[in-house]
Amino acid sequence: MTRTLRNALLLALVSALSLGMTLAWRHWTLVPIHEAEQQLQIRQWLSALPQGSYDNQPLQMPLPLGDTRLPHSQLLAGYRATLAGQPSAILLRSQTQGYAGPIILAIAIDAEGRLLGIQVLEQQESPGLGARVVDPQVHWLTQFTGHTQSSHWALKRDQGDFDQLAGATVTSRAVIDALQDALRYFDTHRASLLEERAHE
Amino acid sequence: MNRFWLPGISLVPLIGATSTWVQAVVIGLCAALMMLLHQALLAPLRRPLVAAPRLMASVLLLAALASCLQLGLRAWALPLALALGHYPALLSLQCLSADYLLPETGRWRCLAIHLGSLLVLCVLLGACRQWLATGPNLHLASLAPGGLILLGLLLALYNRVRPGPAPSRRQGSL
Repeated sequence: MTRTLRNALLLALVSALSLGMTLAWRHWTLVPIHEAEQQLQIRQWLSALPQGSYDNQPLQMPLPLGDTRLPHSQLLAGYRATLAGQPSAILLRSQTQGYAGPIILAIAIDAEGRLLGIQVLEQQESPGLGARVVDPQVHWLTQFTGHTQSSHWALKRDQGDFDQLAGATVTSRAVIDALQDALRYFDTHRASLLEERAHE
Repeated sequence: MNRFWLPGISLVPLIGATSTWVQAVVIGLCAALMMLLHQALLAPLRRPLVAAPRLMASVLLLAALASCLQLGLRAWALPLALALGHYPALLSLQCLSADYLLPETGRWRCLAIHLGSLLVLCVLLGACRQWLATGPNLHLASLAPGGLILLGLLLALYNRVRPGPAPSRRQGSL
């Protein structure tokens, strides 16, 4: 009986200590984790923009977006990058359905409606196939830069202009459709996206 | 069960989290830290607690240690923490089994040998995998099956070059 009691007491002590230690540690790391997450987010979101193409803090001023439901994707947010007071690019965050889950892209479009850069923010595609979209050695996403809405936005096998990721047709089509959606959205809402600042 | 089971229980992080050498070094260090802290915290409880209560205490301590490790990695090495995924938390399984497999006598010495060989193996595997994936562009090396094949080759090489004929009980272990 005393043995059971002693065991129970010791276990209670161990659990209290473990819990206390974890909570204290969590409290202590809360601020550094929050800061690290924000910095990583800013770095990732802005990496779609080429270096030196902006001198403001685009993420500080989100743009009001109208109808964000596009045919193949959904716009989550939009930001304007300016250089010397002139709008130089629009950064759109777009979510589309990939093969294994949602893919979230940061898409940078310059004032003439050309694609400046694409960055994959989140994806859950199959390792070795669709997930190669984020592989730094596979420059699949760079083939899109410079293209406008007038290009044939489809894979070569669908009589389009672009190569696909080997073995990942669904992922490739999803990304291409999302890019086309974003460019079409830019063309439709060009005035409000770029020139709102001039009226202020 | 003997001490040669120890490399086997480290297989999951050893293959899952060594696709680059930085990841490999970090997971190796995390494993060493977790195992040492777990054993150190359990040491005073070894005499009063036996069997089931001891297992419960071990699990409680590991839950706390794994949470703190994950939080620490997120706070000070967030990109790395995201790349490592759940593998730091999975280290607790390795610690739990190590607590059972370590012999009663010469516990710390055995643990030190195991952790040393685990670190060396992690670094070797990580460096090989990263080199194979970037140099000859062998994409398989950066995936988990490639890691398993490479680990087998490394252990085979070790058995081949170690002085004297390898006794059969040493096959496939370090």
